[in-house]
Amino acid sequence: MAGKRIKKELIDFQIDPPAGCSAGPVGDDIFHWQAMIQGPPDSPYDGGAFKLSVHFPTDYPFKPPKIAFTTKIYHPNINSNGNICLDILRSQWSPALTVSKVLLSITSLLTDPNPDDPLVPEIARAYKTDRCLYNKSAHDWTLKYAS
Amino acid sequence: MPDTKKKPPDENSMFGDKLPTTCTSSDSKPLNKPVHSVEDDSQPIKYGELIVLGYNGHLPNGDKGRRKSKYILYKRPKSNGVKPFKRHLVTCPQSSKAVQDSALHSVSYTLTRNKAIIVEYQSDDDTDMFQIGRSSENPIDYVVMDTIPGHIRCSSENNITQSTISRFACRIIVDRNPPYTARIIAAGFDAGKNIFLGEKAVKWYSGDEIDGLTTNGVFIMKPQGGFAASAQPGVWREVSVGGGVFPLRESRPSPLKSCQVITDEDNILSDGTLIDLCGATMLWRSALGLISAPSEHEFEDLVGEINAGRPQCPVGLNTLVLPTRGSLNLHDKQPYVYLNCGHVHGKHQWGVLDSESTRTCPLCLTVGPFVKLQMGCELSLYMDSEHPTFCFNPCGHVASEKTVKYWAYVAVPHGCHGFRAICPFCASPLLGNPGYVKLIFQDHAD
Repeated sequence: MAGKRIKKELIDFQIDPPAGCSAGPVGDDIFHWQAMIQGPPDSPYDGGAFKLSVHFPTDYPFKPPKIAFTTKIYHPNINSNGNICLDILRSQWSPALTVSKVLLSITSLLTDPNPDDPLVPEIARAYKTDRCLYNKSAHDWTLKYAS
Repeated sequence: MPDTKKKPPDENSMFGDKLPTTCTSSDSKPLNKPVHSVEDDSQPIKYGELIVLGYNGHLPNGDKGRRKSKYILYKRPKSNGVKPFKRHLVTCPQSSKAVQDSALHSVSYTLTRNKAIIVEYQSDDDTDMFQIGRSSENPIDYVVMDTIPGHIRCSSENNITQSTISRFACRIIVDRNPPYTARIIAAGFDAGKNIFLGEKAVKWYSGDEIDGLTTNGVFIMKPQGGFAASAQPGVWREVSVGGGVFPLRESRPSPLKSCQVITDEDNILSDGTLIDLCGATMLWRSALGLISAPSEHEFEDLVGEINAGRPQCPVGLNTLVLPTRGSLNLHDKQPYVYLNCGHVHGKHQWGVLDSESTRTCPLCLTVGPFVKLQMGCELSLYMDSEHPTFCFNPCGHVASEKTVKYWAYVAVPHGCHGFRAICPFCASPLLGNPGYVKLIFQDHAD
């Protein structure tokens, strides 16, 4: 099922890509995609273009895809390895979700971080206690790594 | 009128069908031909249909002869109805002329061992008679066997232990003239054209009235407001051997008649009347009422419109197809439903919990049974001609919203005391409240 479903997702994605997102396979391997998310306009990531790697397991969609940022990003739920702390990529995964829907969720995570379940506690603290510092750092990193 | 679907007379008039009646010209050569009425040349007049609940278009092992899932009542070439004629008090019914004469219809009410009332019947040129029962003897027009609900039906047919349906359960008398009124009466005549009510049968005799009930009884239920989208189930009644209408007995074979005849109700079959023979329940659809049921062609169009939306499995992202007939072999196009939320998917193995039947819906995470959708193909059971977008719980039979909602409210007799709502397509008792679910298709457009 996995290969067939991934091909179908690719077609659907190309017909109707979600706003600010792009994605597609790297080379000939349908199980390995590269995706790109534009920083949301109402966030300190505005103007950035963030790359992500997408690896589909062989039992996809029954198991979630492994998605990680390959562009460095200053965010309480994304660590220096690019790992993302997002429930739908772990316990709350459902096979009715698609890469398209997951990328949209990641985009909204950029707008609304979840500091109560942080992957990077220092950034979470900055977000909670000194929003100006957080905004500035996030913006600086965006200019430095994602522009 | 029930005959509205036959050819309009003027369509044929130029070919001479009506010439003898409309044209008196002497050079017309078919003048000496016998006068054909239009009905002789076209389809016989259809009075109505009896549909046994639980079969969805055909018996599990196929329709055979007089045993089938649906019986259509057509006007007979020659009347065969009978009506009560004379009453005798006899000491030995078995030797009386009316009983022994196999050309004479009679009903014997045994009062004591050596006292019986025999009601002699005579032929009635104005009515047709149709007999229903378990017997495969000639007098039975429609052979009805006990219905095994879909959920316990197994491949072998021999799982009826003991039938509760009478061999000669009931008869329907239809007026041969418009509006073709049909009446139901308990008990049918056997091969000797006799009906015997034994010593133990419920019966009452009061000088000018003799009547009785059959062992397990014949129950009827007329929907209020006709068999239409707005219908409400009515009250179940029992019909007597004389055609009277009575409240139900305490329990089905109870020897005590509950109380007096209900004079403001009758035994006329109205469109949508249910007839229960204790073991099988039949729906009466009048020819007129059936006009509102979808035709095969209309139904294909309705299903086609749903399929045109290209519903897809949210997991496999493959297109699903609702079949128009039965459950054809659709492979991965076969739709399934999560019964507690109504989300339609293809078959897959995600979210299986403790048992195969309990699963988590990938869309809303509701836990519940996951069953194959099957079309309700017996279109005479439909209340309207709307899209089939609801299904029954637990069997997954799909029909229109009004159809599913009506049947979920109808309590159908079950055993000797009980009533329960069933899926009319497979007779499985409905589960949960309300016993059905609205199907949610993920259209390709999403």
